[in-house]
Amino acid sequence: MVRDRRRFLQAVSTAGLAAVAGCVGGFGDEETESAATVGMIYSTGGLGDNSFNDMAQQGVMAADEEFGVSYDETEPDTEGDFDSIQRDFAESGEYDLITCVGFQQEDPLADNAPEYPEQNFIIIDAVVEDADNVRSYVFGEHEGSFQVGHLAGLLTTEEFEAGDAATDPDEATVGFVGGIEAPLIRKFEAGFVAGVEHANPDVEVVTSYVGDFNDTAGGRETALSMYQDQGADIVYHAAGATGVGVFQAAESEGRLAIGVDDDQSVSEEDYADVIVASMVKGVDEAVIDAVADVIDDEFSGGVEELGLADDGVGVAYGQSIGDAVPDEIVSALEESEAAIVDGEIDVPEQP
Amino acid sequence: MRARLERLFERLVHASALERVAISVAALLVAIVVGGVFVFVSGAFASCRTGLNLAGQTFCYNPMQVYYELFLGALGHPLEGGWHPRNLRLATTLQQTTLLIFAGLSVAVAFRAGLFNIGTQGQLVVGGFATGITVLAAASILPGGFLGTVLLIPIGVLAGAVAGGLYGAIPGALKAYADANEVITTIMLNFVAVGVTSTLLSWQFQDPDSANSQTAAVPEYATIPTIPIVGFHGRMSFSLLALAFAIALMVAIAWLLAATSFGYELRTSGIQPAAAAYGGVDEKRMVVASMTLSGALGGIAGAFWVLMVHGRWLENVPPLGFDGIAVSILAGNNPLGVGAAAFLFGILSSGSSAVGTATAVPPELVGIVSGLVILFVAMPEFFRLLGRRYLDVETHRPVRADGGGEADE
Repeated sequence: MVRDRRRFLQAVSTAGLAAVAGCVGGFGDEETESAATVGMIYSTGGLGDNSFNDMAQQGVMAADEEFGVSYDETEPDTEGDFDSIQRDFAESGEYDLITCVGFQQEDPLADNAPEYPEQNFIIIDAVVEDADNVRSYVFGEHEGSFQVGHLAGLLTTEEFEAGDAATDPDEATVGFVGGIEAPLIRKFEAGFVAGVEHANPDVEVVTSYVGDFNDTAGGRETALSMYQDQGADIVYHAAGATGVGVFQAAESEGRLAIGVDDDQSVSEEDYADVIVASMVKGVDEAVIDAVADVIDDEFSGGVEELGLADDGVGVAYGQSIGDAVPDEIVSALEESEAAIVDGEIDVPEQP
Repeated sequence: MRARLERLFERLVHASALERVAISVAALLVAIVVGGVFVFVSGAFASCRTGLNLAGQTFCYNPMQVYYELFLGALGHPLEGGWHPRNLRLATTLQQTTLLIFAGLSVAVAFRAGLFNIGTQGQLVVGGFATGITVLAAASILPGGFLGTVLLIPIGVLAGAVAGGLYGAIPGALKAYADANEVITTIMLNFVAVGVTSTLLSWQFQDPDSANSQTAAVPEYATIPTIPIVGFHGRMSFSLLALAFAIALMVAIAWLLAATSFGYELRTSGIQPAAAAYGGVDEKRMVVASMTLSGALGGIAGAFWVLMVHGRWLENVPPLGFDGIAVSILAGNNPLGVGAAAFLFGILSSGSSAVGTATAVPPELVGIVSGLVILFVAMPEFFRLLGRRYLDVETHRPVRADGGGEADE
């Protein structure tokens, strides 16, 4: 009797569990054939920064358009989470490629990559040495930043007015706002300062690090003080979502700003009238490139350096006010670009 | 209205243990339903390639899937094929459980002494930092290998406990001798802890080879060892030994509160300070002592975070100390209940990352769902605490002819 009841309960619970398991898939998650499965681990700035992480996401979306891949994404809260999330993805064994976005993932990946020798990883913005299952993509941020520095240095003494913003030709000062004071972000600063110097040695550069890639209010305060108190009329940022605050400050002060990673006059359309240019960085291209190699079975470890010469970085003039930049400045930038590519100008990587 | 409230409080305060469990389970179910509706409706505002089409709307998120991942994903999907009991997800769940037991005990001890310790986070930060730098310094003079493990881990945990304890003693002393409200002082000392440790890190202890703000790694043999064969794999950052230690400590604290004179004095000071003073308890010393014990437990949480999870101290410490407050309230400040509450939090924390990976639901929404679960489950306990504190609820005890009475705790 007791045994019957137990068997009945067992049968019922098994049926119940099967029913539950049947409706725990995502809506419309039919098993589709995909060429590859990609795991995306974003940096602490998270999606929605309209810059660095969103570029990586555009990369995987474009790869999906092109080859039909499926991908899972996750946004860690703090850098302490990277380690366990990387292992989580690798442990599941479902991913043909795991993309680690951001230099903060370098240390955990250096520990984890040897543990999972069969797993392909790429890391953006950092180099993981001696692991043949990791491809490291690094960009010539200093070269691209040199270009926008050159632009800012020439523009700050011009009488420039476009959209909602204008320079103050009497003040020869430009600003740089960084996220976390790490070697990578200092690379942006070094290039920017060198570019300003190249344009006009009398222009002063004020720099400040907010200490976070996710602190829009802090970015706004920092940029406001540059615009109001220090006489800066153009501020360049390398600060992820913190940089949105720089645009807000530029908007309220009627000054100019320079975006980073993505063409931010497009991705941050609300501020298109103050973004004179952006230092674009081909994060999306790196992701597409890696996914394509995984699909073609040509993936290998190593370091890919994408500088000005490889179109890994470059200047994109703002879609709404970029056209107002005088032609002689545009051609001066083209000259300095050619000089960097030919090695005539050597851009420093650290300030 | 007031009478009604009083009646409600009274019911909650006098609920038996079984009733309280039933209330919590009911609250959990309500939270799941409310959270599910939330997730489903949010799905209408998201954009996705395929979804459920209902009434001209496309719903992207399946609440069933979210809960499946949240609760079963945290255990490594036991209902699916190929399940292995020692999987990474379960390791993460138990890792969080272990750390939250320490943090929850820290808050519970202070609570039982009638003190609101919001400073567990700061004590944890300071304790973890002390552990990291002490172990690094000690490792350079002590031998390595097994002997190193046996010596360094107790040294590290002790360093964390001492640093956390001293850091907890500060607000205790301020309250006892300067009448400073411990809620304010502990909150402020959290900021001080973060500032001081960050400054010390950049001044002296930063790992020169890393772009992240962290100390150098302690040697492999100084991290909490895993049990061979039955234990979890070393790369899973969790050791059953640590969990065993946490449970042993939990029992020890329960025994300390229930069966020692120190525990008796601590509890009476919490319930009725005037009566305790009348009974000969030195209340000033009691406040300092209980805050020190609370801080030491917070420091131990930091020590295990360093020695078990990362093998180094990182500047960005997760808010385990604040979660400890919720764990403690959920457990009704009962040390033995802290284990169960910490396990629920462990599941929610590890399950959240499972949801993040397996579904398109954004992490903020998962945060709302797990927040709702905690809110609903803790609500009755919170009202009990309030009711006890602010309402003069009479005790109805059946008078027995044999003079015996049941303790209502």
